[in-house]
Amino acid sequence: MSTTASFFAPRIGATGEPVKLAMQRLWLGGRVAPVGARLTVQHVFRSEEKQPIEVIYAFPLPREAALRAFRITGAGFEVDSELRPMEEAVRRYEEGIAQGSLAAMARNYGDGLVNLTVGNVRPGETVTVYLDIMAGAEPRDDGFRFRFPFTLAPSYHSLMRAATVDGEGELELPSDRFGDVILPRWRADASGLHEVGFDLSLLNPAPVDEIGSPSHSIRVKDGGARVMLAPARDVPDRDLVLDVKFKDTRPQVIAGPVGDGKRAFAAIVPSTSFGERKTAPRRIAFLLDRSGSMDGAPIQQARQAILACLALLTPEDYFTVVAFDDAVELMEDRLAAGDRGHRDKAAKFLRKVDARGGTELARGFLAAARMLEGGGDVFLLTDGQVFGTEDILAKARSAGVRISCLGIGAASQDRFLTLLGRETGGISRFVTPRERVDLAAVDLFASVGSPVASGLKAGQDVQPAPVQQVFPGTPVLVFGVTGCDSVDIEWDGGRTSLPIPDGDAETGATVRLLQGARLITDWESRYPAEAATGALEARKRNRVAARLVELSSTYGLASSEMALVAVVKRAGDRPGELPETRVVPVGVPQDMAFGSVFGAPGAPVQAALAAPLGRRRTPPSTGGRPLMPTVVPSAAKAPGGGLPAPPKPIDGLMDLAAQLEPDGGMPGRDDSARAKATAEAVLKFVEAGHTVTSGAFRTHVGRLVAFLKALTGLRAKDQELVDRAIHAAAGLQP
Amino acid sequence: MTLSELVEASGVPARTIRFYISRGLMSGPLKAGRGAEYTPAHLERLERIKSLQAEGRTLSEMAPLLEPAAAATETASVAWRHYALGDDVVIQVRADLSPWRTRQIRAAIDEFARRIQTSGQGPEEE
Repeated sequence: MSTTASFFAPRIGATGEPVKLAMQRLWLGGRVAPVGARLTVQHVFRSEEKQPIEVIYAFPLPREAALRAFRITGAGFEVDSELRPMEEAVRRYEEGIAQGSLAAMARNYGDGLVNLTVGNVRPGETVTVYLDIMAGAEPRDDGFRFRFPFTLAPSYHSLMRAATVDGEGELELPSDRFGDVILPRWRADASGLHEVGFDLSLLNPAPVDEIGSPSHSIRVKDGGARVMLAPARDVPDRDLVLDVKFKDTRPQVIAGPVGDGKRAFAAIVPSTSFGERKTAPRRIAFLLDRSGSMDGAPIQQARQAILACLALLTPEDYFTVVAFDDAVELMEDRLAAGDRGHRDKAAKFLRKVDARGGTELARGFLAAARMLEGGGDVFLLTDGQVFGTEDILAKARSAGVRISCLGIGAASQDRFLTLLGRETGGISRFVTPRERVDLAAVDLFASVGSPVASGLKAGQDVQPAPVQQVFPGTPVLVFGVTGCDSVDIEWDGGRTSLPIPDGDAETGATVRLLQGARLITDWESRYPAEAATGALEARKRNRVAARLVELSSTYGLASSEMALVAVVKRAGDRPGELPETRVVPVGVPQDMAFGSVFGAPGAPVQAALAAPLGRRRTPPSTGGRPLMPTVVPSAAKAPGGGLPAPPKPIDGLMDLAAQLEPDGGMPGRDDSARAKATAEAVLKFVEAGHTVTSGAFRTHVGRLVAFLKALTGLRAKDQELVDRAIHAAAGLQP
Repeated sequence: MTLSELVEASGVPARTIRFYISRGLMSGPLKAGRGAEYTPAHLERLERIKSLQAEGRTLSEMAPLLEPAAAATETASVAWRHYALGDDVVIQVRADLSPWRTRQIRAAIDEFARRIQTSGQGPEEE
C-alpha cells in the first residue's frame, strides 16, 4: 500500500523491520477549555494477516470523561455508532460478528477502563474509528491542566495475576469482579508500537500567559489557539499533559443555548473570589504510599516534601505520618503536637521508609482516619496505580475524613484520584515523575487545611451540587442549565452572581455534554463495594444502574450500563467466519521499569499472584508475589527531544523549608542570629520566585515574614536586613 | 451447539471464547461458516479454564496444562470433507478450515482432478 507506507507502517527501532500492527495510529484532536474538552480520537486499524481479525484496544478514560459516539469508516462505508443498553449492544455486536460483518463496540468497565473492539477486519483492510470523548480538565485559579492517556498504567490489585509472554507483560483480573475486560499487553520498548500524536485547539476565555507541556514537545500556533505535537509522531508510553496559565485570575463563564429558551453553562470561580482563609489549628495525617512503584526519585521527593510540609505546623497543630504498602506503619499510635521534637521524630521515621510491596490504599487511609478519629485531613502522596477503585472510594466515603491527593505518574490515574479527593471533600493534583514532586506537594499542602469558604450552595439549575468547601488555589467549577441570565453561588458569609453569556449552540451542546460526563463519572464511582452481596447492596447496585441508564439516555453518553455499537454490512461478508483476536499492546509508562512489574523482557513465561507482597525487587517467578512497578530515573532520551530529564529530588529551598521552627522563624542561637537566618531564607525564596502570595513556598514565606515582623529590639544592621527581606517578599506581589 | 448456546451454557462471553481460541487454549468450532458447531468438549474446556483461573493460574501458565486435552479433542471430534475423484482416489480435507484455505485446497483438487480424470468431470464431494 503505497499510500500507507510512510504513514501507517511503523518499524522496529532496532532492526528497521516493518511491524504488523493491528492498530497503527492513535491521534487526538478536538477542543480543550478550562471546563473540559470535546475530543475526537482517531484509531486506525489494519489487518496484515491472512484471516479476519478482531482487534481489542484497552484504554483508561481521562478524568470526568464519557464516550459520546464513534464513526467507523473504510473503503466504501461510513457508519455511526448507536447507544444501546449493554446487553443489547453486546448482542448486536455478536450478531454482526456471526454474520461476517464488520462490527465495533466501545464498552466501559470498572476503574474507567474501556475496551474498543473492532471485529472482522478483513485481510488487507484498513478501518478507522473516530471516537468522540467528553473529558474534564483540572482547573486552577490561574489556568488549567489537561491530561489525556496514551497508555495504561499496570496497576495493583490483591487478586491480580501477572505474567511475561514473549517478552511482553500481561495482567489478568478475576472475571467475577472485573467482568470480561481485556487488558493490553505491555512492552518495555514502545518504539515499535502504534504512533500517537495530537493536534488540539484551545478555547481560552482569558488572555493566556503561558502554554507548556511537561510530557511532550509541543508547537503552539495561532497565538495560543492551537497546540500540536512538535515531532511527526510519538510513542504510547505516557499521558499527554498540557498546562495553560492565564495572565490574570478571574471568574469565567462559558455558555450556549440548548433549546426551550435555556442555556447550558459552566462557571469557574477562583478561590480568591471567596475571601481570605481563617487560620485554625490543623489535624492532619500524612499518608505516604511506599509501594514498589514509588521507588527512586518519587519516594525521595515525597519524603522531603513531607518534611517541608511539617515545617508549616505549629505547636497548636496535631499530626501523624502513616506509610503503607500492603502493610501499614505508623510514626506513633496517636496524633502528636507539631512541635520541634515530634517533627524530628517524624523525620527519623521517614528516613526509614523505603519503597516496597503493593498498594493497599484503603488500608492506609483507614488507618489514618482512625488516628484522626473522623475529623481532619489526610494528605496522600501516591501513584494511585490500583484496580478496584470503586471499592476504595466506597471505603473512603465512609472514613469521615477529607483526603487530598498528590498523584505521581506518567500514565494517568487522574480519574481515580480526582474522585478520591472530591468525594471526600478534599482536593487533588497529578504530576508526572519528570516534574518536581516535592514542590507540587508543598504547593498542594499550602492549600489543604482551613478552607477559604464553606457551605456552598447554588440554585437547583446547578448539577451536580457544588463542593461544600473551597481551598486556596483550587477554583469551584459548576455546571447547569438555566433560563436565567446569571448563576448565583452562596456560601457562609458571602455570595456572588455571575452573568451568563449568550454563547453559541455548539458551546451550549458541549457544556451540556461535559455536565453529563461529570454526572456519569460520579455515579459510576458509586457502585457498591465489589465484595458486597447482600440485599441492600443489590438494591443500591440496581439504583446506581438505573440512574446511569437515565443519565446515558438523557445526555447521549455511554456509561457502564450503556455502550456504543455499530455493525457494517459489506459485500462478500461470510457468516460464521471466526476472527482471530489481536489485543493492542501499549508501552510501559515512561520512567517505570518493566522488570519491576513483569520480570525481564524476553524472559520465558513467568507468572505470579500479586499479593501479598514482600520486599523483593527481583523479577517475579511462578509462585512469587512482588509485582508492583518501580519508578526509576530514565537515561533514555524522550522522542522528539527537548524534554527535561527527571528532576533532582532535593534542592536548597526544600531543605530550607524543612528547617522552619514552629514559631515561623529559622533556627539560631539567639534572636539576632535567628533574625539574620530568617531574613536570608526569605531572600532565597524570593530569588527563586516564591513570595507571600505566589509559588509553592508561599505559605513558608508568609510564616517567615510574619516572624520577622514580630521581632523587636534588633540592632540596626539586622533590622535593615529584615526590612529588605520583608520588602522583597511583598514587593514581588503580582 | 452454536456459539451462543456455548456462551449460555458456560457463562463465558463470546468475545472471551474467541480470545481463548486465538490463544490456543481451546480448539475452534468443528465446521467453518454458518454451521460452526461446538461440542461438550468445548464446554468442558471452558470449565477447566475457569477452574485453573480460580486456582490463580494465568492464561499463559495454563496453556501447557491444557495442550494434551486440546489435541485429544481435535482428534476425536474433527470433521472431514471427502472428495471422491474416482473409484481409486478419495481426498479428505478438514472441514473446519478457514474459507480462504478451503478455496485454495479446492482449487488444487480441481487441478488434480483434471489431470487424473479422462471424463473431464470435476470432483464430487460426499
